Amino acid sequence: MKKILIVDDDPNIRDYLVSLLEDNGYTTRTAIDVRDGLKIAKEYKPDLITLDLEMPGEWGPRFYRQLSQDNELKNTPVIVISGLSGNDYAISKAVATLSKPFDREELLNIIKENIV
Amino acid sequence: MAENILLIEDSAEHAVALQLYLERSGITISIGTTTEEMFSKIRTKEFDILLVNPFLNGKSISSEIKELKNSIPLLQVIIFCIKQNLNQAMDEVGTHAINFLEIPVNSKALNLAIIHARKCIANDKRIKIYSERLADLEHDRTLYHQLFNEVPCYISIQNKEMRLIGGNILFQKDFGNEVGEYCYEIYKHRTSPCPTCPVIKTFADGKSHSTEEVVTALSGQQYHVLTQTAPIFNDDGGITQVMEIATDITQIRQLQGHLSSLGLMLGSMSHGVKGMLTALDGGIYQMSSGLQKNDPERIEKAFDLIKQMADRIKKMVLQILYYAKSRKLEYQTVDIVHIFKTVISTVTNLARKNCVQIEIDIPDSIGEMDIDSNWLQAALVNLSENAVEACIYDKAKNKNHKVEFRLWEDNNHRVCLSIKDNGMGIDQETREKMFTLFFTSKGSQGTGLGLFIANHVIQQHGGEIKVESILGEGTCFEIYLPRKKAEESVAPFGKSIERLS
Repeated sequence: MKKILIVDDDPNIRDYLVSLLEDNGYTTRTAIDVRDGLKIAKEYKPDLITLDLEMPGEWGPRFYRQLSQDNELKNTPVIVISGLSGNDYAISKAVATLSKPFDREELLNIIKENIV
Repeated sequence: MAENILLIEDSAEHAVALQLYLERSGITISIGTTTEEMFSKIRTKEFDILLVNPFLNGKSISSEIKELKNSIPLLQVIIFCIKQNLNQAMDEVGTHAINFLEIPVNSKALNLAIIHARKCIANDKRIKIYSERLADLEHDRTLYHQLFNEVPCYISIQNKEMRLIGGNILFQKDFGNEVGEYCYEIYKHRTSPCPTCPVIKTFADGKSHSTEEVVTALSGQQYHVLTQTAPIFNDDGGITQVMEIATDITQIRQLQGHLSSLGLMLGSMSHGVKGMLTALDGGIYQMSSGLQKNDPERIEKAFDLIKQMADRIKKMVLQILYYAKSRKLEYQTVDIVHIFKTVISTVTNLARKNCVQIEIDIPDSIGEMDIDSNWLQAALVNLSENAVEACIYDKAKNKNHKVEFRLWEDNNHRVCLSIKDNGMGIDQETREKMFTLFFTSKGSQGTGLGLFIANHVIQQHGGEIKVESILGEGTCFEIYLPRKKAEESVAPFGKSIERLS
């Protein structure tokens, strides 16, 4: 089964993504901030990551920068799911940027297209 | 220098002899033979030197000479007389004359006396100009000092260490005369420079910078100020000091149209709103998938989440409505004990889930009081939730987190409520800003409205709210409310905070 890492500081949204993705046949793990996310990404080696931008401590773009410096992780597709408006360019190499509240089908389609 | 000399001598022969001698040296002189002539000539023309025999026709005119010298201080007086009278002349005229010559007048002595007089004239004129300039300078200095002092802004001068070197009268009145203290301590009670300090920037680039700040005066009164800086250069062009001008814009901030700030508020809240809506979506998804799978646990969890989100959205909408339309209070006679207990029950779930203990010290009855229960309840819920959240977000381990609720009556028959937590505590800067509109320490989770409205509701009730907090140890809010309806004296959205000391 394909593995997805969910990085978001809001527990309700993490729960939502976990249910949605697991119901659709993925296994998931969650991280509550950038540091947590990087640590889990290194050991979990996810096939895809969903990333919130605005989180306590370090923000999403910083996560992405550190991720892309890691040879094992740099090719992992990242989907930005954020409440910030005009965030399309915050992480330009993300495979997609969805704005909260997001469309379920759209998210599932993007995952399907990008997960290898 | 072509000075004018007036010669007064009763002997016309002697006068003419002197005139001839002096005119040979290129000096023009006028001649008089009586005191009357002396006065009339002086009145009609300006003379620099008075060459005078003080014994006209055997009569002393010393007092007239002195009178003249006193009325025209720049006039230099040279006395000449016969040897027998010289002593008397010196006694009578004294220092009013610069020289005493003997008849027959020695030409060299006369020349020297006139040269001496010229020097005296030049010196006197110079002194006169200098003292005039000095008076101008003093006048300008007083004027500039007055301008500096009377400017209706706070002006302070800071050195490179951010220490205050001086301030104008308004600054000293509201912030004290603490020369040598750090500006951030005096203005904001911080222990380190403010992150966006315009003074540091001005020291760095010599340009003017500005920021908007909330500062707290000695009285505890808070001011919204617009600060602008300007460099002060020394003779070598280096910046040794920076002047900071802070203009009180509190009124402007208060008068800002509610509708325009509503737009701003919605913008600043949109991230939180989006999060809530996403979580609500999540609840709905889990509810429907739970129903499909017939998974009661998931359904229950989803329902909890939907309820929680609906509550939060409701609260937020109510806050927006409150802010959009500053409404009058609707007083009812209520049992405050009952209301406080209801408030506490709204946070017990949250507290229990997060292992925060709740302690209640409330008498069975304290009698009735007149309040707008809806809004007071909203304010109390807000403070109670903050207390529980301060415990939840407290990173300190080995702490038995708890929130204590107390209710009592004070000596002034006011109803007092306290909500005390041992959570993370609040630093002083936050404490000073916490009741300001849109200020939040909760990031995307906060709207910056809760405490602003809580404070305003309590003020509208004629009550007061006090905050005591120690960083890392916890916070205590105390609310004092009169039992009877207050005079509606609180202007909409007026602000004041009294700190416990």
